[in-house]
This record gives sequence, structure tokens and C-alpha cells, in this order.
Amino acid sequence: MACMNEEGQWIVLMGLLVAVGLFFLALIINQSALVGQTTAEGVLEFPKNDIRDLREAIFDYVDKYGNVDAAGNPSAKAVRDDIIAISLDRKNAVVDFKVKDRIYISGQWAYPVEIHYNNGVTEYDETVYRY
Amino acid sequence: MVALIAVASMVPGLLAGLQSSGIDYDAVAYRTGVILVEDPGWPVDPPWETYDENHKDEIERIGLAVSRDAPNILLSTKIEKFFNTSFFDPEDYRSKAIFGDIPYSYNITLRSLDAEGTYNYATGDDTPPGYGYIRRVVKIKEPSVAVIDGSFKDQYTTDTEDTSTSRNFTVRFDFNRLITQSIDPAYRIDPRAEPVNITITDFGEFLNGTASYATLESVTFRRGSSSIPFPYDESDTDYYTLRIDNNPVLYSPEPGVGVSSSISLVLKPPATSLFNLGPTSILDVEFKFEDEPPATNITGIHYYDYNPTNVTRPDLKPAVLEVAIW
Amino acid sequence: MVNDSGQLYTMEGIAAGLVMLLTAYLILSTTSIYTQGDTHIPDMQLEQLGSDVLAMMDTPDREGGKNQLVEFINENNGGGFKDKFLEYCNAKTSGDLDTLHMSASVTYRKEDRIEEHQLVGPDETWTGRESAVRVTRWVQLDQHQQLSPRQPYGQRAQAVLVEVLLWRA
Repeated sequence: MACMNEEGQWIVLMGLLVAVGLFFLALIINQSALVGQTTAEGVLEFPKNDIRDLREAIFDYVDKYGNVDAAGNPSAKAVRDDIIAISLDRKNAVVDFKVKDRIYISGQWAYPVEIHYNNGVTEYDETVYRY
Repeated sequence: MVALIAVASMVPGLLAGLQSSGIDYDAVAYRTGVILVEDPGWPVDPPWETYDENHKDEIERIGLAVSRDAPNILLSTKIEKFFNTSFFDPEDYRSKAIFGDIPYSYNITLRSLDAEGTYNYATGDDTPPGYGYIRRVVKIKEPSVAVIDGSFKDQYTTDTEDTSTSRNFTVRFDFNRLITQSIDPAYRIDPRAEPVNITITDFGEFLNGTASYATLESVTFRRGSSSIPFPYDESDTDYYTLRIDNNPVLYSPEPGVGVSSSISLVLKPPATSLFNLGPTSILDVEFKFEDEPPATNITGIHYYDYNPTNVTRPDLKPAVLEVAIW
Repeated sequence: MVNDSGQLYTMEGIAAGLVMLLTAYLILSTTSIYTQGDTHIPDMQLEQLGSDVLAMMDTPDREGGKNQLVEFINENNGGGFKDKFLEYCNAKTSGDLDTLHMSASVTYRKEDRIEEHQLVGPDETWTGRESAVRVTRWVQLDQHQQLSPRQPYGQRAQAVLVEVLLWRA
């Protein structure tokens, strides 16, 4: 054929690229309007009451058994295993806690307690002093 | 061309403001409920409910909980201050409890579930047909009382050989015993955060045989051995109240009046903060009786501590709190 | 002689005009997007309320006083537990009582197995109800001292989980 008309081919190409780019961008932004989490879902998802309740249960354990070695005291071990097993089975949460030796803080004796909680969505670790 | 059409149909997604079918009032109500029920407010020390009109701007958040570690346990003094509509106006509620850019209308109510209905408060406008709503169940902690009645007669009477004309009776607040972390904040006595009440009843039992009254010369406050100046008088009811013999009149710290049946002193947190007390302080409240010849033989030290015979702590009262926002 | 180039020009113009009209119509007809309404609000309100009620039943009114929740579980008193729970749940600050219903079970561990004991059964509103919310609370049971066995938890000191299902009917 006679020499092809090559003028304006750059413009056409760029035009095509811009069109494709716009298409892609608009698609993303349009779909993003329907994504998100409502406030109530966010509140339900965060296990506020579960974590508070677990802390109270662990504090009850510390008040009763202190930092007694669980291996040596079958009663303490049973309660500890209760908490861990039932948490896993019914609350779908991996829970662990460790009570350390008593230390003297600002005039009172306290047990440092390390608490670990993980329900797959939220992970919570804390070291708290139980007087 | 096809791309242009497709893009053009998606332009509304770019330009339209994201419009939810309604403002999420329930979320604001939930947040306000959490601030009221689980947060002690800010500032905590000295507590926000002790602030007067001049310092109202320093209050950042009004929460009703006793402490951070005791959610759902509310303190009665915070409740009474919160529902005091002559102190807080609607703008205060919006900026210190509800928050948010839009001026929400609100209705906050609290009712205790005991038979007497001791607490029945409301603030805000009447609710329209649709509103955001949350309901919380709480327990209310009330201040403690030290009641010194006739059963203490033998313990607090001196022998009659004492020839001086003045008699001193002391109530001691040993903060080493009171401020202890091993007692749950829901049951703890903290004179810096809540009022303390000293009530001496059956005073007739403490009088000498022939006397019909004993003159209460003064009520003084001591820290250790040094006396603390107390600049308030009977008009400063935010700081303390002193009542004698069930009279409706309030007295100054130096009443010089005869007592025949009872004395009631309520010391409130703003006054206690004046004394600069810490977790190891000891505060003595001294009642001095002066008569010629002495009309009473009362003496001794009464400890304001956790012993149930010394101090009565009222039971926690269950209550329900509702927040409506629209 | 008719010139074809003019006709093509006109046809293109008409086609372009039609396309523009079409896109303008598409744009105007799809201007607003509404997000879905929040269907989880009642769940959030019920879950917070149920947790509050269990926590308050677990708080003695005075230091060292009676803990209602532990007592109900120890005595296996389903009726008492239901009455007290609904009393707190349905109380409002003014007007009529609310219409919430509940059922409850206790989960405990027996050697290697996790077992469930129904404390309060569901009532007649169980079918055809709104979605229910589950709230839980840990209860510490002490070593049972009396001779008569504590059914079904056993004598040892243990931690059990009380689960309450709460719904509006």
C-alpha cells in the first residue's frame, strides 16, 4: 500500500490509554461507595465485654490461688484449664494468663498478671497488677 | 466510545456525595452512654463535680462512673451534679458529654429500681417519634456515714476524775487504711472523691447526769499534730454542712451552741482537697466541748475505716439509664 | 452530483449527538447512592444491655455480700435467674416495661469434654422472633461443701460460662 498515514497515531494511542485509565479508576471509586463497616458492626466486632469479663475471671483466680504453681495444685490447674478450654470452645478465643511472684509497689503487695487474648480479629495483651 | 459511555455512567459515583439514608443517631447515643456509664470524666483529681461556676470551662468530659476500673458503678454526687440544670446548660451537655459537629437534641434519664425511687432524673427535650437510643443498667454508690450512737457510750466516755473544762472527741481518717487498692472501687471510701458524714446521735447518753446540753465550742481539723485553718463558714454549703439537734439551721465551725441530741457534719471533697491529703495522710476532725462544769465526758478517737460497726456503707442501688439522641 | 462526504459528516454528527444525549440521560438517572441501612443496631443495643445486666447481677450490693449470679448457678435456680434477669432487662425510666425474652445455658468442663446444661428454656416466643443476641459471663464456683451433689457441675471448684440468649418479641 502507499505509505500509511502515520500522523496523529500518537494522539489516538494516548487517547485510548487515557480512556482505559479513566474507566479503571471510575470503576474502583464507584464500587468503593458500597464498601465499609457501619458503626454498629464495629461495636459488635470489638470484644469489649468479653475482655473485661475475662479480666474479672482471671482476677478471681488470682485472688483465690495467687501465683501457686498450677502443676502442683490440681484445683488451681483445673480452674485454669476451665477458663482456657471453655474460651476456646464457646468464645472462639485463645486465652492465656500467667501470674508472677508478688512485688511491693507503693506500700502494698501486688501480683503482676500477664493476660493474653486473641479471638482471631482482636488481639489483647496486658500486664496488670492485682493487689 | 464504549469506554466513554461506561465512564460516563460511573461519573455519579465520583461526584455524588455519599449519602446514608439517615444520620446514625444510635451510634452517638451509644457513645454518650459509654461516656456516662463507663468513664469517670475528666478531670479526675480533683473530681470534675467539685468545680464551681468559675472553673466550669476546665471540665472536659462529664462521666458518672466511680472510677475507670469500676464501669457501670455510678457515684451519686456525680449524678446530682450532672442533672443540675442550673449549673449545666444544653450547650455544656453537647460539648462535654455528647460531642460531635451537629447540635444534637438529647434526652437523658436515670431512674433507680428500688422501691422508694430515690433517683429519678431527666434532662433534655421530649422525644420525637424516631430517635437513636441506648439503655444501660447500672448500680449507684452513695457516700458512707459514720454513726456514733448510744452503743458507743462506754467506749467513748472518760472517767469523771478529769477536772479540766474541755472535752475533745476525735474522728480519725487514716488514709493508709482507707486508700487501699485491694478494696474494689465500688466499695472504697475516698474522702477526696466523695463526701463523708459524721453523725453523733443519742447525745443524751454522753451527757453527765444533771446537764441537759453540752456546748460544742468548735470543730477543728488537724493533720498530724498541726491544725489546719478552715476558712469556710455556714454559707459555704458546697464545702461542708454542720447541723446540731435536727435544727434546719446550718452552723459555722465554731458554733458555741448547746447540743442535746445530735451533731451531723458532712465534709465534702472541695474542702478535703484544701487539706492536701495523700495516701499516707492522717486527718483528724476534733469536736471540742467546753462547759463550766463539764457537761459531758465524751472522749476518744473514732476511726473512719472499713469496719462495719464504725462506718455504714449504703448498699449499691440498681438503676437504669436511657440516652435518646435525634 | 450529490457529494457523499457531506452526508457522512451529517450522519456522524447525528450519531454523536444521540450518544451524548444517551450518556447525559444515564448520568442524570443515577445521581445518588444510598448506603445500606444499618441492620445491626438492635443487635448492638441488646448486646450491651444484656452484658450490663449480667455484670450487675454479678456485683454484690455490699462488700462481701451476696453475689446473685453465683447463687443462682450454685442452686441451679433457673426460675429465679430468669425473673431477676428480665426484671433488670425490661426496666425503663418511664412508661411501660420493655418486652424482652431470654433463655440461658451454662457451659462447664468435665474432664476432657465441654458440656452444656440448660438453665432457662425458651418460652413460646421462641419461634418467629427477631434475631437473638448472645451474651456471656464467667462465674467462679467454689468447692461444693454440702453432702448433696451439685448437679450437674460436680463438687470441684471450677469456672463456668453462663450464656444468655436475648431477643425482643
